[in-house]
Amino acid sequence: MISRIARKEFVDLLRDGRFRVGAAIVGALLVVSLGAGWVNVRDARSQLEAAQTTARDHWDNQGEKNPHSAAHYGMYAFKPRFALSFIDEGIDPWTGTSVWLEAHRQNEFLMRPAQDASAAQRFGTLTAAGVLQHLVPLLIILLAFGALAGEREQGTLRQLLATGVTRRQLAIGKALGVGGGLALLVLPAAVGGAAALMMGSGATGSLLTRGVVLSLVYLIYFASFIGLAIAISARAPSARSALVVLLGVWVVNGLVAPRAAVDLSGWLHPAPTAFEFARTLDEQMANGVEGIRPPDREAITQRVLAEYGAESVEELPVNLSGITLHESELYGDQIFDLNYGALWDTFERQSRVHETLAMVAPLLAVRSLSMGLAGTDVEQHRHFATAAETYRREFVASMNDDLAQNSRTGETYFADDDLWETVPPLEYEAPSLAWVLGNRSLSLVVLLLWVVGAGIAAMGGVRRSESV
Amino acid sequence: MVARTVLRNEARLLMADRVQVAALALFGLLFVYAVVNGVAWVSKQNATIEAVSVADVERSTALASELQRIEDGGDPGSPFRDPRSPNVLGGNRGARTVAMKPGPLAALSVGQSDLLPFYYDVSIYTNEQTFLQNGEVANPLNLMVGRFDLAFVIIYLLPLLVLALGHNVLSGEREQGTLALTLSQPVSVRDVVASKLLFRGVLVLGLTLGVSLLGAALSSGFADPARLGLWCLGVTVYALFWFGLAAWVNTLNRSSAWNATALAGAWIALVVVIPALVNIGAGILHPLPSRVEMISTAREASRQAVNERSELLARYLEDHPEMAGAVVTDAASSAALAWAATEEVNRQLEDVATRYDERLAAQLAVVQTYRFFSPALLMQSVLNDAAGTGGARYDRFEGQVRAFAEEWRQYFVPAILAGETMSVASAAGRPEFAFVEEAPGAVFDRAAMPLLVLLLLAVASSGQAAMRLGRVRSG
Repeated sequence: MISRIARKEFVDLLRDGRFRVGAAIVGALLVVSLGAGWVNVRDARSQLEAAQTTARDHWDNQGEKNPHSAAHYGMYAFKPRFALSFIDEGIDPWTGTSVWLEAHRQNEFLMRPAQDASAAQRFGTLTAAGVLQHLVPLLIILLAFGALAGEREQGTLRQLLATGVTRRQLAIGKALGVGGGLALLVLPAAVGGAAALMMGSGATGSLLTRGVVLSLVYLIYFASFIGLAIAISARAPSARSALVVLLGVWVVNGLVAPRAAVDLSGWLHPAPTAFEFARTLDEQMANGVEGIRPPDREAITQRVLAEYGAESVEELPVNLSGITLHESELYGDQIFDLNYGALWDTFERQSRVHETLAMVAPLLAVRSLSMGLAGTDVEQHRHFATAAETYRREFVASMNDDLAQNSRTGETYFADDDLWETVPPLEYEAPSLAWVLGNRSLSLVVLLLWVVGAGIAAMGGVRRSESV
Repeated sequence: MVARTVLRNEARLLMADRVQVAALALFGLLFVYAVVNGVAWVSKQNATIEAVSVADVERSTALASELQRIEDGGDPGSPFRDPRSPNVLGGNRGARTVAMKPGPLAALSVGQSDLLPFYYDVSIYTNEQTFLQNGEVANPLNLMVGRFDLAFVIIYLLPLLVLALGHNVLSGEREQGTLALTLSQPVSVRDVVASKLLFRGVLVLGLTLGVSLLGAALSSGFADPARLGLWCLGVTVYALFWFGLAAWVNTLNRSSAWNATALAGAWIALVVVIPALVNIGAGILHPLPSRVEMISTAREASRQAVNERSELLARYLEDHPEMAGAVVTDAASSAALAWAATEEVNRQLEDVATRYDERLAAQLAVVQTYRFFSPALLMQSVLNDAAGTGGARYDRFEGQVRAFAEEWRQYFVPAILAGETMSVASAAGRPEFAFVEEAPGAVFDRAAMPLLVLLLLAVASSGQAAMRLGRVRSG
């Protein structure tokens, strides 16, 4: 019986001009956004690759100099673009793309692409994620608002129930019918997306798994919307009021709640201003904080002298400067960890506010998951920033170590290409799927609550819907 | 007469409809939330500017007293930190903080102000890389989504309020059967519809403009009546456009449900889909050049410059013969050599930046023309310009900072090359910066075209509606 209802609903849809026009528009936008995203990621990746090569070239060919001067000259790291980001560019345009790795300082990521764009970008760029999060639900509303309210208005609901169909079967059948219509649109897009992924990057297993999970997340989101639409259609006095209520839900879900979350997250978890941040950092660098004291040059000297059994600095078989520089790096690292750690934690708490508000707007949950799986959320930006910072510390340490081991205190010492080439390139490994989902567990739970809740509401609504 | 009767009747109907009253109240709440957010953001910016200015004054005072102490025979300490040397007093130690205060209406539209820097530290080392710095610390997720400010409510939600109130001005009367009754009186359809729309228009605009004025009052918005006038004009024209569209759809003689669907579709297309399409179209057709070249050039130039300092100084003196006599060419003038290297790096960076800015300007100019595809995009540029939070005012600030940095260099570089020492007097005479606002006329010039197009759209739709209404029968 369910299949018959579903088939009837499905055939109805196919004959409905509104569905055909709506699906054609959404489908076209999906194709355009996937294509544009793919081209965009391909170009960005080749640019990054070239930039990384040039940056490495500068490092390798910096000529003869003191290893610590080389550490000052430093290196640049460029934020990689994750293959799946062609579906969801997430925060990528809003974060810096490159960071200068130098001695003594953890720098910020600079050159946010958004800073060069016009204010029109605030309306959002058309991405596959945007189409899936905003426009497909709209299509669902268009397909399903009359599912029960319409039958009732036409008087066919009573007839239908007289044939012995249970209301449960009716609800499931309607949902499947709408889902079938939607599948005509979404399945080709998913196949196209997978093909683009393969073409773009010689997709690895883990990437495909992420793609599959991403698709599942969107399917759950669509299912929630179908359930919600049927629940409201069942309870609404007329098809028109069902449409009005559903459009209201859509506006709150897609526009009002996300923006409201921005300011709310700022109120609840205020971030320091750039000025406060820099001043705190400078102040702590100079004077230390509770439990972290600036290195004591004299104590280090005495310790090293004792270690080598030397009477004076000149007798040491090592360069004391290299050792004190390293100590001051270790000290700075703790201060950076403290301050940048607190800042990132504030951002993550702010993200948590967005995720919590997903209770009223499922878009917030699916958006978090989508960005997470595409590798374009704040947490994965932090993951790369941390990797770059670890790399900075390692290569600066290796420079200072070379200075300490291969020269004497006070001696003029130059190293050359042989040393620069011993520094390995930054090999960044993106976090695992489990790591991403662990970060996004709140969104996952809320999204599942939505689909279950919407399902129950749909059943309950249909059960109670009056047939008159 | 007709108008007054209709207005009174409409007001009674509205007050009796709990759903509509609730909807209006909800809108009122959203408006207030938006204004509170905007005012809070402006006061945060002002507090930051206050803090950086205080720090700037403290820095100057400390340097002045240090100079005084040295002039009185005190120990100058390390030569790299000695404030008497012009490259220290004009360099990072003596840097001057320059800031642009938020515009008088900044509380109404956040615009680009959460993204672009509103203060810089200027020193002799200020160069193109200085302008690559990030703006205020912000969660990129929040930047991506955008603030809940009044401009957002007006651009996105105001049309929905207009459509909710206006989609059935005529169709509703017909469906209830009251149209025939009304027309049995000596009135025309046009007058009835016009009066009903007038009532709704006054309501919507009263609410929106009232909240705008409230927001202006809470931050120093009345200080600039021209911009406030532009804001109100923009909002009025935008609301007129949507009312005109609603009126026109009503004259198609369809059901209220059809009208609602069509208008909702138009809203989604004009406010959500077309702007997103414009953005992606601009991105594909006119991609932003990559900033990466800037890094490579800076690296390459500084590497070479360090090795070629003496040659560079010689070349610099060829370019600036007026300096030649003043330069002390003995070994003590390492500061002059270092400056020559800095100058060379800056020159190369400027070349890259000029090339980049030309491409960027061409790209943005094309994207600007795409605004005309969507009233929402036009509205956004008018509101941002009125509020002073659009790209134009930030570009102006950056330009003035550039000019100021040049003035700063002119003050210190001759002394660096001549190997002179600075005094308390020369520290006191360092250049000062004050941001010069754009004349209101220039802002109006920029906003004129978008406003005109919006107005034309509004006139076209309502004029078309008025013509068709003349032919409507009570049917």
